[in-house]
Amino acid sequence: MSMARRIARNDLTQMRRSRVAQVSLLILLALSVVAALTSIAHRNASDELRARFQAQANAEFGGQPARHPHRMVHYGHFVFRPLPALAAFDPGVDSFTGNTIFLEGHRQNSANFGDVRQSSLLARFGQLTPAFVLQVLAPLVLVFIGFGAIAREREQGTLRVLAAHGVSARAMLGGKAAALGLVAAIMLAPAALAMAWLMAAGGAPVLPAVVLLVAYAAYLGLWVLGIVIASSLFANARSSLVALLGLWTLTTILLPRIAPDIALAASPLPTRLESDIAIQRDLRATGDSHNPDDPYFAEFKAGVLKQYGVDNIADLPVNYSGLLAMEGEALTSSMFDRYATRQNAQQRQQGNTALAFGLLSPAIALRSLSMAAAGTDLEGHRRFLAQAEAYRFDIVQRLNRLQAEALTYSDDRNRNNDPEAARRVRIDPSNWHDVPEFAYRGATTTEKLRAAAPGMVLVIGWLLAMLAGFRVAAHRLGRAL
Amino acid sequence: MGIWLHELKLLLRQRMAVPLLLLTLAAASAAVLAGAAEVSRQQDVIKRIQPQQAEEEAAIADFVTVGADPGDAAYYTFHATWDEPAPMAFAALGQRDVAPFVLRVRALSLESQIHEGENYNPEMALPGRFDWAFVLIYLAPLFLIALLHDLQSGEREAGRMAMIQSVVRNERALWLRRVAWRVGLIYLALCAPLVIGGVLMAAPVGEVLAMLGLAALYVLFWTALALLLARLKFGSVTNAASLAAAWLVLTLVLPGLALLAINAAVPVRQGVELTLAQRELVHAGWDRPREETMQAFFRQYPEWQNMAPLDAGFHWKWYFAFQHLGDVNVADQSRAYREGLEHRDRWTRRIGYLLPAVGVQAGLHRLAETDLGAQIAYQDRIRAFHTSLRRFYYAYMFNDVPFTMADFAKAPRWGDAGDDS
Repeated sequence: MSMARRIARNDLTQMRRSRVAQVSLLILLALSVVAALTSIAHRNASDELRARFQAQANAEFGGQPARHPHRMVHYGHFVFRPLPALAAFDPGVDSFTGNTIFLEGHRQNSANFGDVRQSSLLARFGQLTPAFVLQVLAPLVLVFIGFGAIAREREQGTLRVLAAHGVSARAMLGGKAAALGLVAAIMLAPAALAMAWLMAAGGAPVLPAVVLLVAYAAYLGLWVLGIVIASSLFANARSSLVALLGLWTLTTILLPRIAPDIALAASPLPTRLESDIAIQRDLRATGDSHNPDDPYFAEFKAGVLKQYGVDNIADLPVNYSGLLAMEGEALTSSMFDRYATRQNAQQRQQGNTALAFGLLSPAIALRSLSMAAAGTDLEGHRRFLAQAEAYRFDIVQRLNRLQAEALTYSDDRNRNNDPEAARRVRIDPSNWHDVPEFAYRGATTTEKLRAAAPGMVLVIGWLLAMLAGFRVAAHRLGRAL
Repeated sequence: MGIWLHELKLLLRQRMAVPLLLLTLAAASAAVLAGAAEVSRQQDVIKRIQPQQAEEEAAIADFVTVGADPGDAAYYTFHATWDEPAPMAFAALGQRDVAPFVLRVRALSLESQIHEGENYNPEMALPGRFDWAFVLIYLAPLFLIALLHDLQSGEREAGRMAMIQSVVRNERALWLRRVAWRVGLIYLALCAPLVIGGVLMAAPVGEVLAMLGLAALYVLFWTALALLLARLKFGSVTNAASLAAAWLVLTLVLPGLALLAINAAVPVRQGVELTLAQRELVHAGWDRPREETMQAFFRQYPEWQNMAPLDAGFHWKWYFAFQHLGDVNVADQSRAYREGLEHRDRWTRRIGYLLPAVGVQAGLHRLAETDLGAQIAYQDRIRAFHTSLRRFYYAYMFNDVPFTMADFAKAPRWGDAGDDS
């Protein structure tokens, strides 16, 4: 193996002398540093801003004056999605999803103010983050540095000289791969430092961070092997370069765009407007609270009267309007859940279709793994949507229960024509204060790793395939010499 | 003429030429098809929602007309708006995948409605769409680089350069012919599908020509870069690597840095601030003395100031008055938010003068009407529509006219004022 080491050392010396290698590596390192610094700053600033807005929203909710509880249902609440610490490494879909939702009764609003709609078209060119640098740019720089590994030796006739000195094909390829691997390790260094900083100072979870680093190392490793293999296949350096450039374009630029297009065409999502209309239609089919003779609500009323053993809603010990509001909210909310489940299933289907292209492109596999482990994938946003909806339902029902229990039916009915009743239905503001604040629970390490698993399997598969290809290439080269 | 055909034959005999040209043609055709499919999906959605919307309106009319209160009608009825894709949208889908192109509004405060997002899968939107603009901006330079990087260096490396220089009378004309064929054929392969798409979509000739012009400029830029580099007389390998590096920097790295710079220089957080503020303003309406609200509203709409004073209890007139005042009071913030977005957009355009990829992308998005400007224009049309909706309902509410079934048909329709064009 010392022969391979000698080849690696010799290659590294040559790289140190090569201006292309030097300049491209330096540019990549500079970009990595810029990407890491700006990403960390951006994630901290965004997270802080969201926390501040959340605190403001909490204070405003708690500080509302005495009101009818149903007023508070419409006043509603804002929740903001915090950013996980590892978003500084891979922000994933964060800028493509809204980060705040307005929660109110009867309605489910969208998450708004995602960066993508607030940034100019530049956002669609790809954001310069540590993940982007390593996923997209680093392989290309490795190509620039490594395309000639074997091909150039062959072109210059030095390959046969080496063989004549008893260097085995395996040692030759191994040495080349080791040298290029060292370059890849240098490329990974700024990201590793950033990750260490995030773990030490940013509270990033250790296991996902380590998994990310290992996965990126594996990804760069498979590119190193692929480059050395390709370089051993071609007669000259130029063919090797053109082939590798083509391969890089296909796997990191073209396929990641084509895959979602195919996934979207295979199962297009209904627009928000259509879902809204469909939910309203389903609600009408279940029961129409506006219709006094509606069978669903007539049955509900009969049930309530029976439960309390009275004949008239005015004789109920609770305010019937509040009970009705609770029933209505439970009904709408169950529709929201049903439609959200359907939409989630469809989006997962799209995600799986797109991820299947990871069989053709390691970049697709790595991107999925990376977002999942960082907690910035769609699953993370979905978790926020689900928790926001649960919180919405909880506060609305709390307020409805207050309406049922703290208000009398007659006051509630007469609030518009009796000033005294109007005063009595405005209940004490301490009630708003008692509403718990939104506490977002991010993905646990297990959840992150489970979500990252399919991508991980694909990346490992790619690495194994490259190792196998490496053996074949060594065998082939050995025979050719 | 013969000499030109001779060069064509030489070119087509090259190992890489025909596959590359076919690849360009295939990529451009696939992109046009994908774009057209997306545009027709959007058109289908717009068509599809009409009967659904009509059914919903009918159902609302059924219960609203029981009481015949125009306030109920105004409160419960959502009105559909939509933004038809422009004829050239298929070539550059732009922001239409992340911004709503169908949106419903009602006569309540608009600022809480207009920023609604669309259901889309962010993981699918993240890499960007595969459209013709993508093929032109990202792939075309690579195809050009593949064909041009060894134009002269290849001859030198094959040992033919001396012969060429001794045999050919006008060397300049020779290289011109070779470059012209390579660039011309790539351009043809890129643009033929676009022209066919434009014809099928019945796009205005001017817009197709403008896109062809932008494509020509972009292709010429990369050609010029390749030719300039060739003057340095590097080997083919160095040429290919340098051009690929230039491509990387010009299409991926610098736009990424520019985005960081613009977003840092022009922070836009007024969106969230204005919705938070607007909610406070609207809901404070419940606690503000009624007369104060009405007087403020009459300053906006003096035509209703002679209405009978409101007695105690709930009144839709008052409710809609403070809803509207919520919008009026955040108008400055709303404008600031919009200006922030436009400011970012303006800087992007300026950067487009330096970075051809950005400039061409911005130009294509503008021609396709899929950019931020188009989004804002749609929002402006929604604002105008919302105003006419409010005026329509105000006339019933403030004149105490009952709202009957027949009145539903009289409500302003999106498109009546030509606002869906």
